[in-house]
This record gives sequence, structure tokens and C-alpha cells, in this order.
Amino acid sequence: MSDRPGGESVAVTRTGTGADPGTDLQIIESLARGELRVAARLISRIESGDPAILPLLAALHARGGKTPLIGITGPPGAGKSTLVDQLIFRYRQQGKRVAVLAVDPSSPFSGGAILGDRIRMNRHSADEDVFIRSMAARGRLGGLAIAAGDALLVLDAMGWDVILIETVGVGQSEIDILRHAHTVVIVQTPAGGDAVQALKAGVLEVGDIFVVNKADAAGADRTVSQLREALSFRSDAQEPESWHAPVLKTQAVEGLGIDELVLSIAAQAEFWRSHPQQRATRRRLQTRLLLIDQIAETLHQRQQAGDRQQRFEQLLDEVLARRCDLHTAASRLLDHAMK
Amino acid sequence: MPQQKIRCLLAMLGTDVHNKGIRTLAQLLRDRGVEVIYLGEHNTAGGVINALIAEDADVVGLSYSTATYLHYTRDLLDKMRTAGVGDVPLMLGGLIHADDEPALREMGVRGIFGPGSTMDQIVEFLQTATGKTLPGGAAAGA
Repeated sequence: MSDRPGGESVAVTRTGTGADPGTDLQIIESLARGELRVAARLISRIESGDPAILPLLAALHARGGKTPLIGITGPPGAGKSTLVDQLIFRYRQQGKRVAVLAVDPSSPFSGGAILGDRIRMNRHSADEDVFIRSMAARGRLGGLAIAAGDALLVLDAMGWDVILIETVGVGQSEIDILRHAHTVVIVQTPAGGDAVQALKAGVLEVGDIFVVNKADAAGADRTVSQLREALSFRSDAQEPESWHAPVLKTQAVEGLGIDELVLSIAAQAEFWRSHPQQRATRRRLQTRLLLIDQIAETLHQRQQAGDRQQRFEQLLDEVLARRCDLHTAASRLLDHAMK
Repeated sequence: MPQQKIRCLLAMLGTDVHNKGIRTLAQLLRDRGVEVIYLGEHNTAGGVINALIAEDADVVGLSYSTATYLHYTRDLLDKMRTAGVGDVPLMLGGLIHADDEPALREMGVRGIFGPGSTMDQIVEFLQTATGKTLPGGAAAGA
């Protein structure tokens, strides 16, 4: 990496002017041409909850679903960003163009966030065939998976060869993002009790590939065998025609074990291709859960429109005074919101 | 509910490694409700600009502890204009000599926050430069 100014490339040709991006059709064409600034602005509008982009998102959804989406999750400090950096490196070697959506938590107190995942991916900063976008959770709960999904629609429309989604596996809303992924990679470390923590968090069931990173640390083999044992109890473990999630060891900082991870991801994609029935079942389950998320989110948004916010506060007062219980209050609000 | 967050890119250019100040600023800005995209040290102008575009940041902040800041800042601003993002406000912090401030402003630097600057000054700058309000931002000055 050069540390003097000058010399490195900036994706000037694809930044666009930043002016009015035009009609929905023009935006879709801009995205298909890979105009980064149009995509970046669109993701900002998704993040701020701009309702004016809903028709565009519907159009993107109708055309989407083409790009492989790989989800990567794990506890803070497990090495997710470093693994993503290594995956970007390997995919670039294969000539693939890569987009990354990195989701980080927001402070529940200030609403602010520090989005630092890019640091680990800094060596790709001058590569115009790598697009990295950070997204803060913004306290959205179920809405986070929706917002992330909408951002993924934008990336999908740009014709990247692969999209990586990185999210901290700490909260349900972060785990829910994985419902968009075709392949889910769960990252653990040998640090005490992590395999058991994975069980507790319920992430064991959603993983397609398990990675024990920092495999040079003490206890790595024990963590691997604990994970393998836990996976053997998974409901699909005994079915001959199901995908059997492998447990891999990596040292992401050193780049060790990454080739095996890349091969595993490819093998998993191949499994979906050769097992369309299983793939359809999985997609249906994921989409069912997303639709339930969306119902809650849509109701929540309607609730906040105009005088409904006031009604919400009034019913909240009723619940606090114990003149109305939570079930009844919710039913009343929903009956109102459905109108 | 629309949430208009201020997204602020923080970075250091070149070989400058004294990151204590910018790391502290990142945390203080987060606590004021800013979404900080933190790039750390050893960035190139091109890398900062690519991140600025991908992240659709509202403002860029650079920290310097070495004397090469005039050179690096001019280079970054030139490249920002070439890339079509010259309109994004740039603020500097760290060891900036008062004698250099007119030259930096002349180049297009919008905010300069050396030692002794307060968070309220920086927050007020962010709100003015981006046209967005921070939660409690207006009251924060009191």
C-alpha cells in the first residue's frame, strides 16, 4: 500500500455526478451500470425510511435474486471482518467482483454508532471491484432485517458476482438478517464456553458452515469437537439428503484455512443446485419469517403516522394505569391500523 | 419513522499513527448520535474517497499529528473534486498550526479543530455543515 498521495485509483468513472438520479427506471439502469454513488444514496434513503422508494424497491425485488448471498455472523471479536477481508481477497483472485454489507449495532442511548469493519478490509480500499457499505442497526428490531434486505436488493441489482453480509451475532434482529443469505457461516473462537453460547443463542440451527477462528489459540480442537457434537443433534443431521454443516478451523489474520472455507461455501452452493427441493423449502421458510417481520414493520410504521402516534400514547397510558392490558391494547391499535 | 442520521467518515492519511485523538472523537461523536465510519490510520486519498462514496458520508474528518498535513489535505481535496465529491465538507483535527489555518481554509477545509476545541463546537459544525440535526444537538450547546 502506498503511503504517499497520488497514484492510487479512484472509481471516478462509476461515481456519477450525484445529481438527481432520475426516474425509477433510470435508477435501475444506473444500478445495472454499477454506478456506485446512485447505489450509495439509495441505501441511505432505505436507512432513513424514505417511503418514496417503495415502488423502486418493488421493481428491484421483481428483478432480483440472482446474486449469491453469503451471511457471516459470530460474537464481537470473533474475527468476522478479518474473515470477510480474506474472502474478498480469494474471490478477487478468482476474478469475482464483491459487495459487502457490514451491519453493526447502534448505541441504544445516543442512537450513534461506530462502524469500523472497513478497517480490516482496508487493503481493498482502492479496488473498484469491491464495494463495502456499513449499516448501523438504528434500534430497528425486526425492521433491521427489512432494511438490510432492501439494501441487499440494491446490491443485487448491481451485478456483483457475490455479496457478503457481515453481522454481529448478538441479538435476534442481527441474526434475522441471515434470512436473506443463501449460505450462512457462523464464526466462533476457542475462547471459553463459546460452543455452548452458540447453542444458547439458537444460531446452531441456522448455520450452514461453522468456523472456529483463532484456531492457534488453546482449546480450538475442543471447541471444534463440541460444535461437531452439538451439530450431530440437529434435527436434520440424520437425514441422508440434507446438507451436513462442516466445522472448519481458520486463522483469519494469517490467512490459514480460508481456501477450505471458500471450497465449503462453493460446495454448499452446489448442494443447493443439486437439491432444488431442499433449497425451495429453505427459501420458503426464510421468506415466511421475513414476511412476518414485514407485517410487524408495516404496522409499526403505520402506527407512527399522524394522529395514530397520539392514540398509541393514549393506549400506553391506559396500560400503565392497568385499565387495559397489553393484548387488548395491541388488538385495538391493530384494528385501527388495518383500516 | 424517517431517521436523518449524520454519517461522518473519520480517517488518518499516510504514515501518521497517533490515533488516540481520532479514536476518542469517534466515541464522543457516537455518544452524540453520529454514525461514525471509522477508517483508522494508513489510508490513501483514493481509499478515503472510495469509502466516502460507498458510505454516502455527510462529512469527512481527518486527524493529523505530523507536519505534512497541507500536502495531504490539498491532494485529498483535489481528488475529491475530480471524483465529484468536492461538495462533502471536510474537517481537520489534531496538531494544526494556527499559521496554516488560512491556507487550509483557502483550499476548502470547512472546519479546523485543534487542541482546546470542545465537543459542542464540533457538534455545531457538523449540524451546520450537513444541515441535519443531532438528537439533543441543539440543547447540547447550552
